[in-house]
Amino acid sequence: MKYEDFKAAVIAAAQSEGLTDYELYYVSDESTSVDTFGHEVKSFTDATSGGACFRCIAGGKMGYASTEQLSEETARAVVLRAKENAAVLETEEEVFLSEGGKTYADVRRKAYPLPTPEKLIETVLAGQKAIYAADSAVIDGSETGAETFRHSVAIYNSRGLDVKSDHSGAVYYTVAVVSDGNEMNDSYEIKIGSFDELDIPAAAAKAAADAKSKLGAGVAPTGNYPVIFAPKAMADLLTTFSGVFSAENARKGFSRLMGKEGETIAAPCVTLTDDPFYAEAPMPMAFDAEGSPTFTKNLVENGVLKTLLHNLKSAAAMGKTTTGNAAKRGYNGAVEIRPFTLFLAPGDLTEEELLARAGNGVYIDFLGGLHAGANPISGDFSLQSAGYMIENGKKTRAVRSFTVAGNFYDLLKQITAVANNIELRNMGSVTGFAAPAVLVNGLSVAGE
Amino acid sequence: MIARDVCERVLQRAASTGADYAEIFAEYTVDNGIRMITGKVDAVDDTVIAGAGIRVFKGLRSVMASTVDTSEAGLMRCAERAAEALGQGDAAMTIRLRERLFGDVHPVRVAPVSVPNDEKVSVLREADAAARNYDACIKRTSCSLISVDHSILIATSEGLYTQDRQIRTRLVMTAVAEKNGETQTGSANPGYRMGMEMFEGLVDPTAVGIEAARQAAVMAGAGYCPAGVMPVAIGNGFGGVIFHEACGHSLEASSVAYGVSQFAGKLGQKIANEKVTAIDDGTIPNAWGSINIDDEGTPARKNVLIEKGILKSYMIDKMGGRRMNMESTGSARRESYAYATTSRMTNTYIAPGEDSDESIIASMEYGLYAKKMGGGSVNPATGEFNFAVNEGYLVRNGKICEPVRGASLVGKGSEAIQKIDMVSAELELGQGMCGSSSGSIPVNVGEPMIRVSSITVGGR
Repeated sequence: MKYEDFKAAVIAAAQSEGLTDYELYYVSDESTSVDTFGHEVKSFTDATSGGACFRCIAGGKMGYASTEQLSEETARAVVLRAKENAAVLETEEEVFLSEGGKTYADVRRKAYPLPTPEKLIETVLAGQKAIYAADSAVIDGSETGAETFRHSVAIYNSRGLDVKSDHSGAVYYTVAVVSDGNEMNDSYEIKIGSFDELDIPAAAAKAAADAKSKLGAGVAPTGNYPVIFAPKAMADLLTTFSGVFSAENARKGFSRLMGKEGETIAAPCVTLTDDPFYAEAPMPMAFDAEGSPTFTKNLVENGVLKTLLHNLKSAAAMGKTTTGNAAKRGYNGAVEIRPFTLFLAPGDLTEEELLARAGNGVYIDFLGGLHAGANPISGDFSLQSAGYMIENGKKTRAVRSFTVAGNFYDLLKQITAVANNIELRNMGSVTGFAAPAVLVNGLSVAGE
Repeated sequence: MIARDVCERVLQRAASTGADYAEIFAEYTVDNGIRMITGKVDAVDDTVIAGAGIRVFKGLRSVMASTVDTSEAGLMRCAERAAEALGQGDAAMTIRLRERLFGDVHPVRVAPVSVPNDEKVSVLREADAAARNYDACIKRTSCSLISVDHSILIATSEGLYTQDRQIRTRLVMTAVAEKNGETQTGSANPGYRMGMEMFEGLVDPTAVGIEAARQAAVMAGAGYCPAGVMPVAIGNGFGGVIFHEACGHSLEASSVAYGVSQFAGKLGQKIANEKVTAIDDGTIPNAWGSINIDDEGTPARKNVLIEKGILKSYMIDKMGGRRMNMESTGSARRESYAYATTSRMTNTYIAPGEDSDESIIASMEYGLYAKKMGGGSVNPATGEFNFAVNEGYLVRNGKICEPVRGASLVGKGSEAIQKIDMVSAELELGQGMCGSSSGSIPVNVGEPMIRVSSITVGGR
């Protein structure tokens, strides 16, 4: 059954149940992907997924139910289940549905033709050729893959909201695995966007060079050092700790930023912005998961907390207005809060100048196990790292298998300088994180 | 779910461009979760996941197409997409399916879908109250009851037509303690491949609440763990995550078959300390990571991976087996129809040894006792891993001393398993969700207490 027919069936079922406040949220994903082994295609995947989530206000509570199968029967089932699920809820919070009739930003981007399956295959095979050619240390297991995706979201509710968005794009990645006969290492590059602008040899060379640079790397000596987080690593830290800016988390005591608006929570060189229309992000969004219009806002401006991220519920509970940051994981599940592209504003320094300022310390360009070694509630982290020693203001020997430890809330205040080399981490989704390299005045490193 | 004759026609279509293997994996899953935050039910997740994935192989090449439309017409279109992606040409494969019943060694008495919400809420209420009554420092809790009713159907061009129903229940509890403005969390997350009868004796919600609260309260009073290289005793149960990450992933065909593993080509060689015997066993009755059949329809089995330090077996799926010239070990798993199957773990543990917990602690002059581990990750190519220590204590002169927080362990799998030089006798399993290319799947990790003679401890 098509979405429009399912929508009609849901409306009919909701009305016959006497429901007056309800919403249907629908997501459809299609992707075609190819990956490789050696000079051959290893696998080809053509996946369709998605589903619909119905939620309704019954007895003052918001009940949810979801399905991946769209039919007359499932339309009726989700309505009944959502009503039943509402009955068990106990939170005494107000519940909200967006009003219709809002105006939204125009987020259309210049469309590029998606590569055909043949073009995907041709591209990844060229990628493999380039990766083997990039360096004699490259071995089997190196892998190039490419994917095209289509992502659609539609929200309809009984208050007159009826919005839709469609995005499509292409992703290319290449993983270089290198060996010196003794040990292996790997590194990857990801590119999002039209394949016409893709520089395959450059991506291969960068991945191979990066993987090779850490072969035979030693361990950093244990101590307390100035640390530079490279753009990728800093963006990963933002990814892990972005939940501290959620008003819902703050309200529930899962973030320390409750009531801190207007206070200094970071160093003066720190400005954090959430931008739903970030230029390089593949899926600019004009509306959030509740259908509220989105906009760009500073969360932290020169170290001062300006706002937390809100959806309708948190905003009402805290006497604010929504920041248009309602989000859902997939089509099902509750409405939560997430940034679109959260970025740390770049500074004026080049990375070389940042290194010079660090003097002696550690440059970290890889952080591992962020889901485990970082506690998004307390802000504590102790993370597997790799990078380079900094000696006399220059990157010197490669180091890996050590940890860096600290606390995110403290780290925001410990940043002493920000470089100008901002990079976006986005794997082809609505949410992304971008950061330049930052210098942090002193963190614990555990190595040898 | 899908009739046998429909499967025959769909498989024939899927194999019509020269495939040497075709497979349908269809599922109908009811995913249910009720969450309570600090005493109040705050969310109910209720999702039906249903669809099919069709895979075709030709030599070492695999194609997968998936669809949410499981009508015959929808499956035929999906089969066509797979066939077209595999190649051109006209080939005919006659497929006659025969239904195989593998039985169920994981009996379930009370299907969670049939239990009303308020009965589930009473379990949450009990766990929540126990946690909050434990100590005044416990300020908040989050507690979820998760139940999954996952019915699968597998039909292959080898003639197999079979179904399985996998029911799992889990109580996920987090307690948050506050002392002197510091916040720490503790958790306990028991789960089994069974229904709501899990709470009739096997899992006590009160004990779960208390355990989460105890950890949070201890850690809220703890100072930071010092950094350095030292011996570490890792407690039983979820401590087995160290083997899961440090070695388990590197023994999966998905890395071994492509040479991207520190243990590729090392069958029969000594890769670990002789104290280490490690097993992946999908057949443990009602265990969280157990299966009757894997997601390619191969019956689950008990695979001895390492015996007294010698590498005995990898974990292999069908495509991995083709590359490695080896049979499947019943290790093919996927989160859902939308993911392409690959080799994964089930219940993976270090077998009991002959040391005692006491002798392990007593052997350490200065080190860390990692009583409860958190999650971790590994890069199978380099073997570099990391884990979080959720509850740790410093050990001095053979005695457990003050608790320390914020510790992590990093190292290289191939080196760390050489350094496991003491293994206690009391095995326990712990539950987790393991994420990899075929999605997030339930697995058990496990071990008795072990000692790693030296490892890098991250702290400050």
